[in-house]
Amino acid sequence: MAASFEDNSTGQPKDDALKSTAPARTEPEEDNDNDDDDSQEEDDDDEEEEEDDDEDEQPPLTRQARMQSDRAKMEALFRRLSTERVPVRVHDVLIKGNAKTKDSLIEAEVEALKTATTVQELLQAAGIANARLQRLEIFDSVNITLDSGPPELPGTANVVVEVVEAKNPLSGDFGIFSKPEARSWSLEGSVKLKNLFGYGDLWDGSLAYGWDQTSEISAGLSLPRFKGLMTPLMARISLLSQDWSKFSSYKERALGFSLGLLSSRNHDLSYNLSWRTLSDPSQISSRTVRRQLGHGLLSTLKYTFKVDRRNSPLRPTQGYAFVSTSQLGGLVPDYRSLRFLRQEFDLRYAFPLGLLNAALNFGISSGVVFPWGNGFLNRPSYLPERFFLGGNSSPVCTLGGPTSILGFKSRGLGPAEPRRQVGENSTTESADASSEMDFLGGDFAVTGFADLSFDIPLKVFRDAGIHGHAFACTGSLTSLTENSYREFSLTKFKESFRHSAGFGIIVPTKLFRMEVNYCYILKKHEHDRGKTGVQFSFSSPL
Amino acid sequence: MEEVKNGEKLTLVTRKPCFGLPTACPTCLPVYIYLRFAQLPFDVEYNLIYPDSDQIPYVEFGSHVVYNNEKGGVIQSLKDEQTVDLDSDVSGIPEWVSTKAMVESWLAEAVMYELWVGSDGSSAQKIYYSDLPWPIGKCLYFKQIHMVKQLLGITKGNAERREEEIYRRAATAYNALSTRLGEQSFFFENRPTSLDAIFLGHALFTLHALPETSVLRSKLLDHANLVRYAENLKAEFVDADSSSSSVSPSRSDPSSSMPKRGPSNWKSNPKSKPKREKTEEEKKFKRRAKYFLVTQLVAVLVFISLLGGSNDAEVEFEDGDDGLDYE
Repeated sequence: MAASFEDNSTGQPKDDALKSTAPARTEPEEDNDNDDDDSQEEDDDDEEEEEDDDEDEQPPLTRQARMQSDRAKMEALFRRLSTERVPVRVHDVLIKGNAKTKDSLIEAEVEALKTATTVQELLQAAGIANARLQRLEIFDSVNITLDSGPPELPGTANVVVEVVEAKNPLSGDFGIFSKPEARSWSLEGSVKLKNLFGYGDLWDGSLAYGWDQTSEISAGLSLPRFKGLMTPLMARISLLSQDWSKFSSYKERALGFSLGLLSSRNHDLSYNLSWRTLSDPSQISSRTVRRQLGHGLLSTLKYTFKVDRRNSPLRPTQGYAFVSTSQLGGLVPDYRSLRFLRQEFDLRYAFPLGLLNAALNFGISSGVVFPWGNGFLNRPSYLPERFFLGGNSSPVCTLGGPTSILGFKSRGLGPAEPRRQVGENSTTESADASSEMDFLGGDFAVTGFADLSFDIPLKVFRDAGIHGHAFACTGSLTSLTENSYREFSLTKFKESFRHSAGFGIIVPTKLFRMEVNYCYILKKHEHDRGKTGVQFSFSSPL
Repeated sequence: MEEVKNGEKLTLVTRKPCFGLPTACPTCLPVYIYLRFAQLPFDVEYNLIYPDSDQIPYVEFGSHVVYNNEKGGVIQSLKDEQTVDLDSDVSGIPEWVSTKAMVESWLAEAVMYELWVGSDGSSAQKIYYSDLPWPIGKCLYFKQIHMVKQLLGITKGNAERREEEIYRRAATAYNALSTRLGEQSFFFENRPTSLDAIFLGHALFTLHALPETSVLRSKLLDHANLVRYAENLKAEFVDADSSSSSVSPSRSDPSSSMPKRGPSNWKSNPKSKPKREKTEEEKKFKRRAKYFLVTQLVAVLVFISLLGGSNDAEVEFEDGDDGLDYE
């Protein structure tokens, strides 16, 4: 009955090759295996069936002799597996333990197993399938067992997938996360419902409060496999409210629906439909902001291409990264929706210096936004979609386009316009002149930085991951729309660059990553909000 | 103000122009006309994307802005800051004050009602939502209707009563104004005041922007001297100087306005309120239908019972035959 392989090389009877030590097969083994090493199971299962037959056929051996013969068989098998390809064909895939989850979902994840031709391939594929099933996050445990096929078909194996579904479909989460769309970190609480309909669907509702006065309430659905599509599908509906009153005198509210169409390691395509309202309850906005207050419909398609070969996203010492984000707005045929094109590039490079785990990081980011459609040369770009430079986020870690120059406050540089004058203080000299300016952002932004990070030569700090860095940043923000591009010249562009430099300490903790920097502003323009001094910045620990 | 004296131009931001009017929104038009009366040069810009804002219309000069939701409105703020005060002589006359209060309350309510609740909404859609994408426009439109109903205190139960009241007050106001105006060119002291600006704005809006089936419009057309007053002042102040003021749209170009309707061919066929008659007819129809159905049912029952009786007899008979046959 032995499930024997087709093997003419050895003179040994094939049965012997598969027999292994009987006592080796115990309950704990099967439970602990985690499917990294399935060979034992395979042998054990084969051997189990053979054992029964053997016991019927052969006279009982002494225990000692049995152990020795089994060990010898096991060693012979391992030798075979390591030296030659042992062909096998998968006969059937059996799925057990799924009361709610649909068979099709699990079968789709173990698809690769059916095409394995050798035992080694089979073991590898089993390991990968196990990892993928666990990544669905809907099972408490996953076990893949390789069994011998039916006795009449030699050289086949059966795969048995045993899953234990999560008992409690509801789970809650609370923590500090950093979202790629938001440009800073946020405090988020979320509730997740797993596998409600058996398709591996993940429903979640979340409430988030961000550092830059952003608050968001959203609900989403994530489907790993939807009717044969290769990539997971994600849909999300959210209500977002951002308060930019201190910086640009407006508040933004967006009711949006976004659909993640394609999501793989390097590519990401998503569609977003949202209704945005800009309002100014304080009624002190500048002229440009006043003209943009109102409602708008955004229908955008966003494509991100990302290659990140750095060895760590938080403290890269080697490698490079490149990200390109393109956004096309105005896809609905309605000419009244917002039409614009937005492109961002990010390039990062790190190389190690050897001493003290030091590394030199370079980076350059740039972005441009421009409207399209009728009369696009005279139209202004949409205010929330412009680029704003400033803030405390570390340029080494963030890969989201040109956003930060250390030393300058959030939205603290670039084109600015005086706010509405209230009352009789018509004189422009006031103690805090810059607080009466609205920062309008720009259409063309460029930032660059150089950062030298090193370990502090004390064991205490090194173990905790605390390290120091010295940096230099530069950036420029200019406007191109409403015919400003005609006044664009290289000299003006060069003059529009701001510079800053400094050094600091980075303290990564479990909850957040803290940076304490001393920044010295080398060059700034008249109304920029940048101050030489000590700064704190917090970001997510991941 | 110093800025104005230095020759800096005023900019008035209003909602879009259509129906042959420089701006078709009933809150913006009086401000436009007031600035015209004052013969101040100003630019006009349009905000096409914020229909639910109470800040519009607003006037900018230099870095100063006068919003409509501050200090009693744009006209009041302009008077307070002595930029332009056309009412310096008349503001003490009690009749002027009460006439203005009547126009600002009764007629403003009537226009609000007519624009959002009384008519089919096509005017409102054109003025406020034609430059917003369709889903946003629809949502804001329904939101606005709901808000207007709350503001005017209209519920399902008292809808008809409130409507009557609003139209009655409007008619009373028109009567009073018509009597007050007589054959003069302006209401008081033969020169334009803010009362003229407010009423002229109301009248032009009612005559041009509301549909022909509008009840309010027909009530206004009953007073020939008011109509004449409106048309004459429009020709003198609004149309004549329209070339001198430059207009520039904000965000997108407004769609072309409808052709003007001249005063000679005013048409008015107000929708007579047939609701009550309809309900009478409906009731009669329902009663008759009920009688019809009941008689039909009775007839069917009678038929079945008779036929059923005879059938039974026949069946028994046949059974008997069958039985006999079988045997």
